[in-house]
This record gives sequence, structure tokens and C-alpha cells, in this order.
Amino acid sequence: MPLGMNKHGSRSTTSLPPDPTEIVRSKACSRRVKLNVGGLAHEVLWRTLDRLPRTRLGKLRDCNTHDSLMEICDDYNLEENEYFFDRHPGAFTSILNFYRTGKLHMMEEMCALSFSQELDYWGVDEIYLESCCQARYHQKKEQMNEELKREAETLREREGEEFDNTCCAEKRKKLWDLLEKPNSSVAAKILAIISIMFIVLSTIALSLNTLPELQGVDEFGQTTDNPQLAHVEAVCIAWFTMEYLLRFLSSPKKWKFFKGPLNAIDLLAILPYYVTIFLTESNKSVLQFQNVRRVVQIFRIMRILRILKLARHSTGLQSLGFTLRRSYNELGLLILFLAMGIMIFSSLVFFAEKDEDDTKFKSIPASFWWATITMTTVGYGDIYPKTLLGKIVGGLCCIAGVLVIALPIPIIVNNFSEFYKEQKRQEKAIKRREALERAKRNGSIVSMNMKDAFARSIELMDIVVEKNGESIAKKDKVQDNHLSPSKWKWTKRTLSETSSSKSFETKEQGSPEKARSSSSPQHLNVQQLEDMYNKMAKTQSQPNLNTKESSQAAKQKEELEMETLPGPMVPLLATRTDGIIDMRSMSSIDSFISCAAEFPDTGRFSHSPLTALPCKGGISLIQEQARPEGSGARYVEVNPSSESSHRSAFFIESPKSSIKVSNPLKLRSLKVNFMEEDTSTLVPASNVLRTYPDPLKSRGAIAAATDTSLLSDRSLMSPETSIYTTASARTPPKSPESQAAIAFNFHDAGIHKYIDADTDDEGQLMYDSSPPGNVSPKYSVANSGYLKQKDHVYRTEKNHLEAAALPTSPKLIGQNCIYSMEGITGRTQGNQETVRLENHISPEVHVLPGSGGHANTHDQSI
Amino acid sequence: KMAGDSRFPDVDVDGAEKSEEMEIVVNVGGVRQVFYGDNLNQYPETRLAELVNCLSGGYDSIFSLCDDYDPGKREFYFDRDPDAFKCIIDVYYFGEIHMKKGICPICFKNEMEFWKVDLKFLDDCCKAHLSEKKEELEEIARRVQLILDDLGVDASESRWKRCQKCIWKFLEKPESSYPARVIAVLSFLFILISSVVMCVGTIPDLQVVDSEGNRMEHPTLDSIETACIGWFTVEYVLRLISSPNKLHFALSFMNIVDVLAILPFYISLTLTHLGAKLMELSNVQQAVQALRIMRIARIFKLARHSSGLQTLTYALKRSFKELGLLLMYLAVGIFVFSALGYTMEQSHPETLFKSIPQSFWWAIITMTTVGYGDIYPKTTLGKLNAAISFLCGVIAIALPIHPIINNFVRYYNKQRVLETAAKHELELMELNSAEGKAAGSRSELEDLSREGKEGPFYSSRIKVSHSDTFIHLLSEEKHYRTRLQSCK
Repeated sequence: MPLGMNKHGSRSTTSLPPDPTEIVRSKACSRRVKLNVGGLAHEVLWRTLDRLPRTRLGKLRDCNTHDSLMEICDDYNLEENEYFFDRHPGAFTSILNFYRTGKLHMMEEMCALSFSQELDYWGVDEIYLESCCQARYHQKKEQMNEELKREAETLREREGEEFDNTCCAEKRKKLWDLLEKPNSSVAAKILAIISIMFIVLSTIALSLNTLPELQGVDEFGQTTDNPQLAHVEAVCIAWFTMEYLLRFLSSPKKWKFFKGPLNAIDLLAILPYYVTIFLTESNKSVLQFQNVRRVVQIFRIMRILRILKLARHSTGLQSLGFTLRRSYNELGLLILFLAMGIMIFSSLVFFAEKDEDDTKFKSIPASFWWATITMTTVGYGDIYPKTLLGKIVGGLCCIAGVLVIALPIPIIVNNFSEFYKEQKRQEKAIKRREALERAKRNGSIVSMNMKDAFARSIELMDIVVEKNGESIAKKDKVQDNHLSPSKWKWTKRTLSETSSSKSFETKEQGSPEKARSSSSPQHLNVQQLEDMYNKMAKTQSQPNLNTKESSQAAKQKEELEMETLPGPMVPLLATRTDGIIDMRSMSSIDSFISCAAEFPDTGRFSHSPLTALPCKGGISLIQEQARPEGSGARYVEVNPSSESSHRSAFFIESPKSSIKVSNPLKLRSLKVNFMEEDTSTLVPASNVLRTYPDPLKSRGAIAAATDTSLLSDRSLMSPETSIYTTASARTPPKSPESQAAIAFNFHDAGIHKYIDADTDDEGQLMYDSSPPGNVSPKYSVANSGYLKQKDHVYRTEKNHLEAAALPTSPKLIGQNCIYSMEGITGRTQGNQETVRLENHISPEVHVLPGSGGHANTHDQSI
Repeated sequence: KMAGDSRFPDVDVDGAEKSEEMEIVVNVGGVRQVFYGDNLNQYPETRLAELVNCLSGGYDSIFSLCDDYDPGKREFYFDRDPDAFKCIIDVYYFGEIHMKKGICPICFKNEMEFWKVDLKFLDDCCKAHLSEKKEELEEIARRVQLILDDLGVDASESRWKRCQKCIWKFLEKPESSYPARVIAVLSFLFILISSVVMCVGTIPDLQVVDSEGNRMEHPTLDSIETACIGWFTVEYVLRLISSPNKLHFALSFMNIVDVLAILPFYISLTLTHLGAKLMELSNVQQAVQALRIMRIARIFKLARHSSGLQTLTYALKRSFKELGLLLMYLAVGIFVFSALGYTMEQSHPETLFKSIPQSFWWAIITMTTVGYGDIYPKTTLGKLNAAISFLCGVIAIALPIHPIINNFVRYYNKQRVLETAAKHELELMELNSAEGKAAGSRSELEDLSREGKEGPFYSSRIKVSHSDTFIHLLSEEKHYRTRLQSCK
């Protein structure tokens, strides 16, 4: 095959990749290599790259096959000795300098978060960042993490406001909105204003009550409240009480409501009144009336707390409270400074003044008052120094006071303004998100910037991991001696690396193309997947060893058949049974991440249906099926005997296929035979991972294809991630050809895989699968980080295209592996509806016309 | 690997053409640039000029300067950052260098050193940026060194030395261990108690009258005081014994404060017991009274336990100039307004302003907005003057205080950042040392181990560091050499 074929963009449509020897020769003929990163050309010595052999660029040198190269870079040109990476060019400059000088600096204007993503992609650990840049980097990251944490909290709070499973939920929700969200409607706003008026009114009444002219005198000669004002007070208290009770009744979570600081204030504002009434009524004529009076007085003072009720209506007051809470360190400093100053100056002034006649500085504690008044520059003048020495001390005290008070205050102010800004921003963000959701529901938004969403979810993942990642962190050190702060990411990367590298050493297949692709068979071997799985299982600390063994046995009996059919084979769809088929778009990286974010959450994880569908580039199809525990009847539908009748057809449409109708459409059906495996009875649900590698092109792609997706229980989904999911992947139902099949117009906005236009004219694919066994194929490996994953997606697609040119129908290669997990089933009790619900990550999926027979879920991704 | 080597033809010594007219092509990390010899020779000490001059010297000299050479295109290849290079070549055209925005100044400095362009060519506007960063790095390096000093337990040291170090750590580093923290808290409590005792002791109700009619402190308070002083003394002595550098220890600010807190007690003790023989009793008592004031020093001991107070002292030290400015403004204001106030109040028969020095007090109290009300103007003109002096006082205080506050806030914020940076630095060193052991091929490592100039302890610890933080500790020349060696 001529080298010239390997021009940019041309290779994906032409069929043959270059021979490894060509690659080696090309590499050998120059000491330098050209790296084109996002259009910016760099030239670097090979040996410079060798300095960090474990990074992406370091591995570039050792890759001598087309597939391994494609795994590392996005494109290459052997003639020019140029390798193309589709990444941010700015960050790459700093990273390449790291190879050259051994010192990782960071461009100053670069965002720390995006730089960290770049570092991940290039396989450089952020710990290498030099101290001069590291401070900025970590500051920014921490700040972002904090922000996300807070955001997650608010979202969780919002999520908490679910009004289900109780009576008149609808009405209660309305009431709640009315009382708690003044922005939700005009009525709510009016209500809030009335509430504020009552607060102000009652406070004024409280103050007026102490005016001697307005007070009455009772029979004991004691002053009492003015009767008019007492009425006002009663009305206000009645309003407050009513408000509080309504809130309490309508609140979704009573205990949480009770604990909330604002509600505690409300309660404290109301209670004194009732206590007073109770005490005076019950002890009217009793002897200890005087004592009661004293208690009542105390409770009267507590009435002043109602002014704090204003905090509910003002974000400013709330931020003040939060700021004080957050900057207690600085407040402590302020008080410490003042205390020290007071002590020093009061003792000084005491020694200066004590010999004066009739001095007021009688002792050091007595002069504390003077020092305080002077340092705060209040200066009442009730006590002041008279001697010369005392006056000098006094003057110094004034200046010191001004200084000492002024110093820590800017820090507190800074905290306040930051928080205030943050609060405002967050309010806006929530509004924006609501608008977005509304728009999505209406279907007016096709896609959104997923990269952004991704970054956030990655960060969120980090945060979640941080909490319970201690054990994971330990493990990581074993795997990798990088002391990365973001250990979790490293793990994933390592996993994916092992998987991809091992794929080289797999055996060859009997495909006609074998000769050409000899060096790179692509077969994920079982052992290694298992390794990966083990690692994960360990991190979950979830004992499911026995399930694994049994499923392993099951795997051996599996057979896969694969056919490539020319032309759009719509007829196949007709054969489909009532099976299952709930389709879900899985390529959404977000969904992966959102699941992954919950992954370490081991406590709840035990009943999450860990299902994952490695369907990459439309090559592979995976079906999964949940087997409810103890309800064998469920399996009737997937009876092994009715093998042929059970076919499910999927119709996947790439976004571009509708445009390029003229393209040769590739249809491929996969027939899957599962043998019944009885040994798995112990196992509630055995999970099988099936990867269907393209036989022609089974290069390192399988490892890639085991893109991981975890389906998790809906309840497991953290609210924030679910939002991202919905944002990232839309799967409107579209089934013009057949009712039975579910068609997807799959739009994946975030993945860059469509950048190369040539790669996605794969047209329409058809999958036919027959799940005869009761093996519940379900599997998952969370192996790769996002970057890898993305890369793989891209590559797999290409492979797929190349394969398309060859009309042969080779047989299936790969077997894969079975993994079992404690599944969904423990909980589902055979209720498929529930299963489906739980499996869905994005709400949109409900829209799909799933024929919904059983608990099978087919997930696909392009 | 070096497949390119075979392509090198014979050395073209046809350098008949003078280097001044020569045109050389330089490829830096993929960016091509054409230079003229005479242009480069303006600065003969720079790397590019050396390159021009050694062209006739054969391949060895060429390869000692650049990373690759393509005789066909007469192109020299350098494996360096092209962005920084583009800035650095400005020196040949304009005689000065401006840092491109966004490049880390430390990184840029290293590049300049590689190209052997003197730092003086960097323009002043960019130099400030660089020196700021450098200072930060030095601070980090100091911290790292401190941490390393603490970490270092050499088995070779004598038992006494090790014991010393142990005590030192115990007393000086509360975060090092749990008992050390307990000790720190205890010491803090003692300071508090002794301060409170000092204050409470002056309350007349709690004092007792001795045989001669003099007021004495309550005996209970006295014994508490003694106990506290005992603790302080033990603490100080232990610190002094265990300190590695006695002189440095004795002269440091915090330890002077410690001495001042202890000394008055012992001096008054000796005075009351021995002084009676030497001088009159009343004199002794006066001296003891005077020494009591010095007890206040113990409050400053709190600074040892609060980073905030240390920051304050640091900020005040740093903003000495601004403090002087503040005092000067105030002094000028006081003089002016007290004189004005005095003259204006003369017309009033019952004036409170009896003399100018007396009205100083009024001026201070007014300008700092305290306003006791013991002296106040009574005439209209005097009141006007008071209003103006009050305004001027606010401004005079507010203006110089701002830089002081700035210093404080900056240092306060930096404190945390530097702390994490130092930790990071250590991690990096650890990582590098681990890698160095594994690979053993990192040239810098050998380079550094050869370098013994950081002191015996230092070099044993930091020999593996190749971080920029320590760049000032290394000799750059060696750096290049080994770098090039490693490339070959």
C-alpha cells in the first residue's frame, strides 16, 4: 500500500493502513518528529520524547502499527513524519517544554481546569507542575471544587423537594412554592412583601411599647403594654404562626425543615409570645408572680429575634451570616488583636495613672473599659488619662486601635464580597438551568456545550471520590508511582492503558484480512478484562467473587455470529418479538461519568444494576438483561428454545446518514447465541460483556470498545449528573421505517468524533440480535477516563468504515467475558417497569416507544 | 536511533565567507528563523553568536551548541521552546527583551539562560514580574529547607544531638506530634493564666495590706504567678539547650520576648532579698514596681502560638515606611491643629487650651476621632478648627494605612499558598528521587549530587531535586553541559 494514501483525511475512506515496517522506517529516517497539535506545528527530537516514556508522547515512539498509532494520535502522515493531535495548541506548548526542560510551567492566562484536562490527555501528572505555577493552579482548582460542591448541594436540596408518595402532593407543592419561592409567581411575591411588612410592623410595635407615655399601669403599679399595641402584636404573631405552620405542613422533609436555621429563627420569634401567655395565664394569682414577671421579661427580650426573620427575604443578610461563619478565623484574629491591645494598653495606662489622686484607673481590669473605648475610637469621655505619660499611652492606643481593627477586616470583606458574588451567580445559574430544562422539554434545543458539562461532572466526580477515596488512593499508589492528587483519574487511565496495550498481544483471527492486520489482533482477553474488573470490584469492596466464577463458566459456551448484510435490511425488523427493547443512547460520556461519579459510593452500589454497553462506533451491540431474583418465569420470554424467534432489531442512525443516503449503507446483524447457564443460579444476575469487534479491523479497538458505561439505579444518580446527562444526549424517537424497531437519531454533541467528516458516513446500521439464553448479559468496566474514551470512539469509527469497504462476512472473533454482578434484581422483583425506570439515566429515554416486555435493556452507542 | 547521523556529509569548511555576511537558519522546536552573522555578533557571548563563530570548528563544536544540524539546508535545530525564543531574539534587533504575556517568568528566565542572553537585557517592566516570582520561590525554598531540617534525622549523629533534636521538635513544632501539640496548648494556657493573674492582681479588693501598710498582691495569685514563671523558665531553658544555633536563637525576636517575660520576676526576687542590704527599702520597692510593668511582655508570647500575630508583625516590619508616614502625617497634623486651636481659644476666658503642648492631647484625640470630651473648643473659630482637624485626621490616617493593610492581606493570603507550595515541592522532590532511583539516568541528578555546595546535609537531601525552586542553588553551566551530555 502506497504511503501516499495516508494523507490527512484520505485514509479514513481508503481502506488500507500502512504496514508496520513503513512506520518504523519513517520513524527511523529522522531524529526529529513533527507534532501538529490543533494546527500548530512543533518539531521535537525523538529522544526528547523518550524522557517520559509513560506519557502519550513517550509511547508514540514505540507504536509501530497503525492501530496503536491511531490510539495515541488522531492522525498521522508518514511521508512528512508528522503526527496530528486534535488538542488545544496553547497548552501543548507548555507540555512540550516539560519534555525539553523537565520543568512543567503553565501559561499564565490558561484556565487551570482546562490545563488539567490537557495534562490528563497527554498523560502528564499535575504534580510535576513547578511551584511557581502550582499555587495558582491549585487555588483555582480548589475554588472550582468548592463551587461545584456548593452547587451540588443546592441541587441536592432541590432534588429533595420531591412531592411524591404523599397525599395531595400537587397542592402541597404549590403551597411550598408560594411560601418558599417568592420568585415563582406574583402571588408568592406579594405574600413575601406582606410578610416583610408584618415583621417590620411587629418590630416597631415592640419598640413603641417601651415608651413610657404609651404604657399603661396595672393594679399592681407595674407598667403594662398598651392595649392597641398588644393587638398589633397579637395579629403579627398570628400571621407568623400561620406562616410557620403552613410551611411546616407543606415542606417535603419535616425534620430537615425543622432543623433549618431560618426556620429555627421563625420558631424562636413566635415561641416567646406563647410562653408569655402561658406563664401569665397559669400563674395569675399565684405568689411567685414576681418571678414569673422576670421570666416574662426575658422572653420579651427574645421577641427581638423576629428582626432576624428578615434574613429569609434578603440574600445580603444570608451572605453576611455565611461570611461570618466562614471567616471565623479572621474574626478570631480581630478579637485576638483587640484583646492583646486592650491588655497591653490598659496595663500601661494603669501603671501611668495609678498614682494620680482620685484616678479612675483603679486596676487593670477597670482600665479595660478605657482601652476598649479608645481602641475602637468611640471615646465616651467618662474615663480618660490625666498624666502626661497616660496621655502618651492614650495617643498610641488610638493609633494602634485604628491599625489593628483595620488589618483583618479587608480579609473578611473579601470573603463577603466573594460569597455575595457567588450567591448572585448561582441564582442566575439555577435560573439558566431551569430555562434550559424547559427548553429541552419543549425540544427546542438540540445540543448544548457538553464539554463544559463534562468538565463539571469530572470535577464533581473528583469531589465525590475525595470523600471516600481513601482506600482507592492506596491502591493507586501500588499501580502507579505518581503521587497524583487526582488519583481516581489515574486509576482509570491506567486501566485503559493496560487494556489497550494488552490488546496487541492477542491472537489472530481467521478473517481474510488477517494477513494485513496480523500484527494487531484485537481481542480483549478474558483474563485481562477480569483483572480490570477485579480492580474495580476491589475498589468497591464488594464481594461478588462467586458470581464471577459462575459467569465465567457461562461465557465459554457463548457463541456469536456476525453477518454483514448489504443494503438496508428493513425486513429483518419484522421478526422482532415483543422483546424488550428499550434503547438508550450510551455514547454520552456524561452518562458514563455520572455513573462513574457514583461509582465509589459503595454503600448503595450493591443494588445498582451495573450494566454497561460497550457499543462503539456502532460496531458492537450489547444487550443486557436483568434477571430478577427468584422469578424464573421472567425468563420465559428469553427462552433458549425459541432462539430464532427472538430477535431484536435495532436501528441506529447516525446523524449524517439521513443526508448521505447515497452512501453504501452497511448493515450488519449480529446474532448472538447464549447458552443457558445453570450454574449461575446463585447469581441474581449475571452480567456479560460482549464486545463485537469488527472482524476485519480488529485492532486495538476492542479495548477501546469496552467503553464503559455504568447504568446505575436512578436513585443513585446524583442530581447534578443527571442534569448533565439530559443535557448531553438527546434521543428523540424516530422510527420511520418500522414501528417495531426503535430508531435513534443520536446526536452526540460533545464528542469530537465528528470532526473528521469522513468518519461518520457509515450510514445506517442494522443490528439483529437474538438473545435466547437466560444469560443476562450485562457487564461493565469502567476502564477509561474520558479522554481515552473519546479517542477510542473516534478511532473505532474509522475502523468501522474501513471495514465497510469489504463486503465479506467474516465470523465473529471475539469472545469476551462475562461478569456478573449483583444486579438490579434484588429490588426489582420482576417488575420490569421499575427496572427500566432505574436503568434510565436521562429522562428523555422515557419518550422512546419501548415495547417494554421485559427487563432487557439494550444500550447502544455510536 | 540516530539515523540522521549517516546523512552528515563532510564538514564544509568552505567558510571562506566571513561570518558577518553569513546567513544561518535556526529551527527552534519547529519554528524557522533566518539570522545574519553580523546581527548575531553584536552579542558574542550568546549561544547563537557562538554558533556562528564555531561553524568552522567542525561537528563537535556545532553539536555542543545545538541539538541537530541539517547540512543540506544549513539548518540548526534546537529543541527548545519556540515561543520564548521569539521573544529572546528581540535582543538582536532592539537590544531589549520583553516577555511575552502568559509565559511563566521563571520558565522564561531559564530559556534566556539557555540562549546565554544576559538577564540585564530583559526590560524593567518585565523584570518586576520576574523578581516577584523569584521572591516567592525563595520563600518556598526556605520553607522546604525548614521542613527538611526537621525531617532530617541522621543516624550518624551522636545520641546527644539526636536527643537535642527531639526536644527541639517537641517544643518548637506543635504539629509534629500529639504530645507536642499538648505542650503547645499548655504553654498557651499558662500565658493566658499569667496575663489574667497580672490584671486581676491590680484590683484593690483582691490585694492585701502587709505590716507596713503597703498593698501587696494576694498570696494565691502570687503563687500562681510563680508557677507560671517556673513553666516559662523551664520552657525557655529547654529551648535554648536544644536549639541548633544558640546565638541565632538568643537573638530572635520571639525569644527576646520570652526573656523579657521571665526576667522581671527574677530581678525583683533578687532585689527584694539582696537589695535591702545594698540600698534603701523604698528604692527597692520602686524598682520592683517599675519591673512590674515589664510583665506585660508575656502577652507578646502569645504571638508564638498565633500565625495571625506573626503575620501582623511581619506586615508591620515590611511596612515600616508607611508606618513612619502615618506617624509623620499625624505629627504634622497635631502640631498644626494644636497650635491653631490654642491661638483660637485664647479669646475665650475659660479656655481649656492652656498651652500648646497641652492641646497636643486634644489634637490627637480629635484627629483619631476618639473625642473624650475632657478638652473641647468653645469659640466658634475653635470649633471650625476642630472640624477641619477631624477631617484631616481621618484622611491622614486612612491614606498610609492602606498600604499597610495591603501588605498584611497579601502576606496573610500568601501564607497558605506558600504552605501548600512547599508541601508540593517536597512531594515533587520525593517523586523525582523515586524516579531517579528507578531510572538512574536523569542527568540532572548526577549533576546535582556532584554539587556539594549546599552544605553536607542539604546536598544529601536535595540532590535529586531538579525543580526550579532550587535553581538559584545550582550552577547553570553544569546544567547545560550535562543536559547536552545526556542528549548524546
